[in-house]
Amino acid sequence: MIRRLLQRRRFMREHRWTHTHLSDYLDGNLDRAGRERVEDHVGLCSQCRRVLATLRRTLAGLRALGTPRRPDLADGIIEHVRDQG
Amino acid sequence: MRSVAAEREAVLVERAKAGDRDAFEELVRRHAERLYAVVLRFVADGDEAQEVTQEAFLRAWRSIARFEGRSRFFTWLYRIGINEAKRRAARRPPVVVTSLEDEPVPEASDWSEAPEARSDQRDLLDVLEQAIRGLPLEYRAPIVLRDVEGLSTAEAAEAMGLGEAALKSRLHRARLAVRRALDQYFLDAEP
Repeated sequence: MIRRLLQRRRFMREHRWTHTHLSDYLDGNLDRAGRERVEDHVGLCSQCRRVLATLRRTLAGLRALGTPRRPDLADGIIEHVRDQG
Repeated sequence: MRSVAAEREAVLVERAKAGDRDAFEELVRRHAERLYAVVLRFVADGDEAQEVTQEAFLRAWRSIARFEGRSRFFTWLYRIGINEAKRRAARRPPVVVTSLEDEPVPEASDWSEAPEARSDQRDLLDVLEQAIRGLPLEYRAPIVLRDVEGLSTAEAAEAMGLGEAALKSRLHRARLAVRRALDQYFLDAEP
């Protein structure tokens, strides 16, 4: 009973830590121990596994948003600065 | 060691600081579109984004003599642009629709492997844009600078006038919020 309780507390501690560090993990900001800590927990926790996978996909989508092309923009700004500056 | 491009830019900045308009206009050509792309996600539409971009460059020109070079020119410029965009956004009633709660959407499936054909890619990008626009401004800037525009953590922190730890914390919360919006999108798309 006590052993199970301690296991549960440890799991939840790792759950919170992992949830807070998923971006650091994806950005390569964790050292080896940190990476292993995330991977160990993700191996055990289906919720964190799903959040990590979908967060990775979210980042790919954000990077695909891109920059709208406005080739005429600079000329207009230069004119504005010449007039006002 | 600075790249050749960075060296050239540093020369342009020094010339602009000395009042050389041609040098400043070259800086405008280099950075106008990227600054526009950033402020576009803070304001109502493309016209307002153009106005904010113009205003940011005008302010930069008027104050470049005081630019001390402690930050990179474009992060200094982004900071001016973001502040101008925030100033305008403050005049409007706040429209925050993307929840910053961490709780996962109940019943949401794992859509990480969903093929693009499952939903229209354009729809997905629209959902992402709306989720970004629904974030409070202090969370919107990190995700736009870092994930959409591809700045490094250090550059994004510099542009926002934040420490890197604070930037990372806001970025993570913003990413989770946008991810959650996609949870809802895929849940709604399920047959």
